[in-house]
Amino acid sequence: MTGKDLSIEMCGVQFPNPFLLSSSPVSNTAEMVARAFDQGFGGAVFKTVHAGRTKIIHPSPRMAGYDYESRKLVGLQNVEQISDRSFEDNLADISYLKRHYPDHPVIVSIMGFSEEEWGLLARGVEETGADMLELNFSCPHMTVEGSGMKVGQAFELLENFTRIVRENTSLPIIAKMTPNITDITEPALYAKRGGADGISAINTVSALVGIDPDTFIPHPNVAGKSAMSGYSGPAVKPIGLRCIAQLAQCRELSLPLSGLGGVETWVDALEYILCGSSTVQMTTGVIHYGYGIVEDMIEGLSDFMDSKGIDSVSELVGKALPNIHPTDAFDLDHQGVARYDLDRCIGCGQCYIVCRDAGGQCLGWDGGKRRPIPDDEKCVSCMICSFICPVSDPPMICYEHVPGKKEIVPPVSR
Amino acid sequence: MNGLERNKKAYGVLQAISEASRCLNCHEPPCSRDCPAGTDPGTFIRKLKLKNIKGAVRTIKNNNILGGICGALCPTERLCMKGCSATGIDRPIEIGKIQRFLVEYGWETGFDAIKKKGSGKGQIAVIGSGPAGLACAAELAKNGYGITIFEGREKAGGVLRYGVPEFRMNTEFVERELEDVLTLGVELKTRSRIERGEADRLLSEGFEAVFMGIGTWNPARLDIPGSDLVNVTDSQKFLEGMRSGRNVELGSKIRGKNVAVVGGGSVAMDAATTCATLGANKVYVIYRRSLREMPADEEDLDLALSHNITLRTQSIVTELIGEDGRLTGLKGCETDWKNPDDHSAANLVTVPGTEYRLNVDFFVKAIGMRSEEGNKGLSELVENLPNGLVKTGDDGVSTTHKRIFVGGDAARGPALIVQAVQDGKTAAECIMKMLEENKSAGGAFE
Repeated sequence: MTGKDLSIEMCGVQFPNPFLLSSSPVSNTAEMVARAFDQGFGGAVFKTVHAGRTKIIHPSPRMAGYDYESRKLVGLQNVEQISDRSFEDNLADISYLKRHYPDHPVIVSIMGFSEEEWGLLARGVEETGADMLELNFSCPHMTVEGSGMKVGQAFELLENFTRIVRENTSLPIIAKMTPNITDITEPALYAKRGGADGISAINTVSALVGIDPDTFIPHPNVAGKSAMSGYSGPAVKPIGLRCIAQLAQCRELSLPLSGLGGVETWVDALEYILCGSSTVQMTTGVIHYGYGIVEDMIEGLSDFMDSKGIDSVSELVGKALPNIHPTDAFDLDHQGVARYDLDRCIGCGQCYIVCRDAGGQCLGWDGGKRRPIPDDEKCVSCMICSFICPVSDPPMICYEHVPGKKEIVPPVSR
Repeated sequence: MNGLERNKKAYGVLQAISEASRCLNCHEPPCSRDCPAGTDPGTFIRKLKLKNIKGAVRTIKNNNILGGICGALCPTERLCMKGCSATGIDRPIEIGKIQRFLVEYGWETGFDAIKKKGSGKGQIAVIGSGPAGLACAAELAKNGYGITIFEGREKAGGVLRYGVPEFRMNTEFVERELEDVLTLGVELKTRSRIERGEADRLLSEGFEAVFMGIGTWNPARLDIPGSDLVNVTDSQKFLEGMRSGRNVELGSKIRGKNVAVVGGGSVAMDAATTCATLGANKVYVIYRRSLREMPADEEDLDLALSHNITLRTQSIVTELIGEDGRLTGLKGCETDWKNPDDHSAANLVTVPGTEYRLNVDFFVKAIGMRSEEGNKGLSELVENLPNGLVKTGDDGVSTTHKRIFVGGDAARGPALIVQAVQDGKTAAECIMKMLEENKSAGGAFE
């Protein structure tokens, strides 16, 4: 393992590296979180703690995977609730972690079911020596009415609960946002007004992962019933990245961010960092592969930073943001073509099919040689052909700017 | 048994979809172009990939009634897999395994993939129940013709049952695929050998056409002294014996004994592997040319080698030695090329001083089949070629008699199962065309 310093500061707390467990089944107990720390995680958001006055029972079954072809768990839907343990047990576990892992920040996710509970939770957690609080305003499938995402969608309530927590603790507070909303910066600004020090996003995307064609019951089938509930994993990463970038670009907000949603590799983590995250959280990646994935995140990010001559993770935070513009900023006079390196073509002809049926109908086909025949004049540079071309390292089909080329408009059928 | 898993299911659903997902969905797929029977892998793999599993099974079974057997027995690396575009980035798609999986999936789920397209049409006789006959019968039955298959042996299947060892094609599998033919309404008459000249009689008995798919069953000769000794046999008799109740007797002759198989094709490897699995002490495979020229499929050679056979290439058998009429050994010598650049059999010479002797108790000739049998005189109405094969038209299946057709090894000489299937399909098309034309011309045969 590389010895590179990946430490980073967020909301005044120093993390040994930016890789955290998110609040979920993977951070359910001290025993689990301790093993994650042992494997290299830099911190953890302890699974959402509640005051213990409302009985929490997880539905059975509580999750369903989304597969693509033979690829398992491209996405994951769950109706798991917040912690089903008592407040006392959770506090004891958090104290245990702080005693044994003083250098690993423990952020505790909390959810109250009344104003009083939010205050009680904040005070109780602070006594354990935990480093931060994360306010769960975003679980999309709470069985307790008026909680989770319902709060995240009712901005004044969200601000009010944040303020109550603020008044009951000196710990830094991050508010966790739901993506199931039109503009994620809105609730974040309310959280800021309530006293939040940072924002984490995204919680799971409300979804239906699939429907059993025999019973017409969506997955997971909970004794004959299903529900729209939280969807996570690699399939939601693009949505998470967009949300983090929106939050990071919001000048009025200007709060530190913790990014999550579909992170499995150091590249995913880097992308979140480049969009403005200081720390990166993960669950579904761990559900798929176990805590060991963090070893490859640490090694991968370290090697990347070495190759770029970067000494601190903080140098990378938000580096993609200046390149993210409204679409009306595009230079539409800049046109190009898909450039083919036909010497490396293996002759599958998928490019021909997709160009004909989804692109600009500009490729010809030499059936004898089994090769496409590109036509620069007609190419609309949609690049769909390059997305399905199996020849990579480097890609056989690349975009090339053609100065002076005019946009191509499809002809009319007469 | 070591390496004999080819009889087992290749995939489960997820594994099959996983393999199919590597497919590049080629434009004008080379696999479909290269299947001799038009099974169309490009289409059925795409269907599997898009979760249209029934549609995939339907594609196979309607294009190739013996799709399961072909999936298991085809030398796919020389056929559909040869031009696979995925080879350019990785390795070819395992088309045979996917095909076999799909056919078995259809059986297991009780899916009736084959739809009949007509009924109540004329009667047609099919002689021989090997791949050519079965394919012809199925195609005609699907289109509404009444089919009677005449099979001389006790059970149907021809080479599929009697020419392939059990470890490559188990009896249940053959019988299950046969069932797909019979459920189309095909009548099967076993132990009904059509004797010399009798094919013509079928026409006078009311059959509107006759298809001859009788194969080649006579082994090529190896003219060396001692060929008439006891325990000297040929691959055809040996493999057929193994599959028709003589396996215990053959096993007792081979167990603990030394065996020599002469030949370098897949059948020789099958015979050698069979001897090894019967518990032979030592199995020699003797082949006149070198490893590079050996025609056996790599998979079959590997299987034989994994059973610890002793391979003697560039080596021939010159004499079989016996005591009291029974085989006890053989004499042979090494060969070399007369002209070092010409690796044809005609360019072989024996090398003086390399003579050897082996103690063997059982000897199997596996040097191919003679094609000079032709139609074996089944029909006096059709002409044969000088080489003994039936003379056919450009379509490869019509004969010099308008109502008699031929296909498979009887038309081509020794060929692949999948080619026999195509001949059966082609013959069925030609028969239907002939009958339709005849009908519109008045209906009566001359």
